[in-house]
Amino acid sequence: MAERALEGVRIVECGQNVAAAYAAKLMADMGADVVKIEEPGRGDLARQRGPYPGHIPHPEKSGLFLYLNTNKQGVTLDLRQAAGQDLFHRLLKDADALIHDYHPAEMASLGLDYSALEKVNPLLVMTSITPFGLSGPRMNDQATDLTSWSAGGITYLNGGGPGTEEMPPLKPFGQQAGYQAGVNASIATLGALFARLSTNEGQHIDISTQECLASILEFTFELYPYMGIFASRLGQKPIQPLDFLECKDGWIFLCCVEEHQWKGFLDVMDNPEWAGEAIFADRVNRGANWDALKPLLQDWIQEQSVKDLYDKAQAKRVPIAPVSSMGDLFNNAHLKARGFFATIVHPETGPLQYPGEIYKFSESPWAIRRPAPLLGQHNAEVYGRLGLSQAEIENLKSRGVL
Amino acid sequence: MSRLPLAGIRVADFTWVWAGPFCTLQLAHLGAEVIRIETASRPCITRQILPWPDGKPGINRSGYFNQYNQNKRSLSLNLKTSEALDIAKQLVAKSDIVTENFAGGVMDRMGLGYDVLKQLRPDLIMISLSGYGATGPERKHISYGPAQVPMSGLSSLTGYKDWPPMHVGISYGDPNGGLHGAFAVLCALMYRARTGKGQYIDLSQWETSTALVAEGLLDYSMNGTQPARDGNHDLYMAPHGVFPSVGQDRWLSLAVRNDEEWQRFCAVLGRPELAADARFVTLTARKQNEDALEAIITEWTQTRTPEEAAAQLQASGIPAATVANAKDLSTDPHLNGRPIFVYNEHPEIGVKQHIGVPWQLSKTPLPVRAAPTLGQDTEYVLRDILGYGETAIASLRERQVLT
Repeated sequence: MAERALEGVRIVECGQNVAAAYAAKLMADMGADVVKIEEPGRGDLARQRGPYPGHIPHPEKSGLFLYLNTNKQGVTLDLRQAAGQDLFHRLLKDADALIHDYHPAEMASLGLDYSALEKVNPLLVMTSITPFGLSGPRMNDQATDLTSWSAGGITYLNGGGPGTEEMPPLKPFGQQAGYQAGVNASIATLGALFARLSTNEGQHIDISTQECLASILEFTFELYPYMGIFASRLGQKPIQPLDFLECKDGWIFLCCVEEHQWKGFLDVMDNPEWAGEAIFADRVNRGANWDALKPLLQDWIQEQSVKDLYDKAQAKRVPIAPVSSMGDLFNNAHLKARGFFATIVHPETGPLQYPGEIYKFSESPWAIRRPAPLLGQHNAEVYGRLGLSQAEIENLKSRGVL
Repeated sequence: MSRLPLAGIRVADFTWVWAGPFCTLQLAHLGAEVIRIETASRPCITRQILPWPDGKPGINRSGYFNQYNQNKRSLSLNLKTSEALDIAKQLVAKSDIVTENFAGGVMDRMGLGYDVLKQLRPDLIMISLSGYGATGPERKHISYGPAQVPMSGLSSLTGYKDWPPMHVGISYGDPNGGLHGAFAVLCALMYRARTGKGQYIDLSQWETSTALVAEGLLDYSMNGTQPARDGNHDLYMAPHGVFPSVGQDRWLSLAVRNDEEWQRFCAVLGRPELAADARFVTLTARKQNEDALEAIITEWTQTRTPEEAAAQLQASGIPAATVANAKDLSTDPHLNGRPIFVYNEHPEIGVKQHIGVPWQLSKTPLPVRAAPTLGQDTEYVLRDILGYGETAIASLRERQVLT
């Protein structure tokens, strides 16, 4: 059996939706033992978001939940009851890290209080992922993925564009703020666990989703402190081509940043006469005159097929890309050859293909060991490990603690 | 001060542009000694583009480089010379981690492939971040950050209803690949701490981006369909969008998460009659009448600044936020009340506001130093890490090995 990078690392996760669940999934997929705690009855909010087979909602069949919770064991526990807190502490005594994404306003009532948990387990690393962090005037503001993405400065940079200023700034598909906060949390948590190998002390980590997003604004944040200006989605791009164009059977993203890439693309086009015009002489001119250039390119590109154009342009070292649909990705020969997609069998949905191995480790590979848990699936096993008898578990269940 | 999490860990950092340097920024934030190997004749693209203070260009003046290379050192080596390559190898032998994000095969051609380097340092951890990954039929294809968004499937799902596919506004595949790369390196460090073994990590930015469109992929996997592009809408929340506010290009983002919040939302709008309006009383009804719903909300938002509207909604516990631009972030009282911004003296541009570490660790606060000027630490690396004497360094300098 292959070795696991995070063998023996024990994580307790209290995740709602994406952020904490993704952080813990990254660790679980690298071999950590993750116990996910869900509220009895309702469970993780992700169970109430699809996609679902046949588009019929079912809490055990949410694609989002199934994806975010691979390799975890799942228990139910009501943290609002004293008996729930008692069990929570017993779980944390044996844990290395606790990762949660409950809002600051809910943390106290759920017992997510580091000064108390530190006494339960002084070695515990506790990671709190919140919209605005655990200090500052807006720490108690409410948020969703959309408002976080907007507060972090990314929504402002996308959508509309020259001539369509009335169209609002646009979010990307899915809950990207949650993923970004999650991967940041996984780094900070593992960093603190690595530190613990030599310091032998736990600590509390405060992750602000807004700050994680403000950290990935490319050069556009520094435009303001350096030059007193800010980027918007409305301006012309300084250089072109960097745009979507439509082929006869789909879309491509044409990307020519270096001069040799533009020359290479012109070769693919058999060097049309207009290419010699001074207004297209370099990438800055092509940016300034994109209104004139885009229709010329579009005229030719609309007769091409995506695959053919992609292959020919890549052969000339042009970093062109297809606009992949979901079907394109599943059928892609390169991703297949790399074994990117994983087939995972879940008792309620049967086998399904998931996005899988995102990095290849030569010694301790990414691996699927189990599908996402059913709600409370591992109650007997996990609480049994803590020494609870079947009768005690049944009793807690009847009182709504589990 | 407490020991930093990665104190004593050294990174020989061959990365450039954004994805790779963003990976090593995370390691630098955690206290690793990250040494960027740079070449003056072919400096990092981020040293060569905006923003520059006062608009004056300069190799050490770009905010792009200075943001993403804080806490690192810079070693200048002319890697076209065999002596420089030899120095790079000596540094690798004294490093725990090697990072690179060149196109496929470049490190091998320079004689710096993993198979060579692990001979110098048997427990070496090496990561390659590339667009396509180190294996597979398209491994030699060329990939830029902006193109990874459409490649990943994200663009085919992003855009206004009945509009073409769209971008996300940043080269999302780069920072996302860098972050996943940093996590991967930490996993390898944990593994090495337990087993003593190093390893090689092949990270494809295409794949790390595709991992974030799971809801679309699982829909296809389950149903053979993919979700239609639908702007800022959400299947499970309404209203959910970005609305025009008072001011030029000013916008408010807001979301109502459930029917009970909808009741409070109507009260904030001063429209109690809407709370009982059958068109809006349930999520299903609000989704069916979303155009009418949004017209009503726009009437309210367009007479207020986004800050005023967000404050009113937040006072009733409803998620709302200004669609912030860089000026909003830079001057934001909340962010300025947190430890996120850092102000360090830089020898060429003085003190400028930069974004520091987006995680606060209670026992090991993470300090931030200004980004290095090109070659700033060349002598330190040669003398203090590799044991070169002053004469040898002067000779290398004279022979243009250190440029």
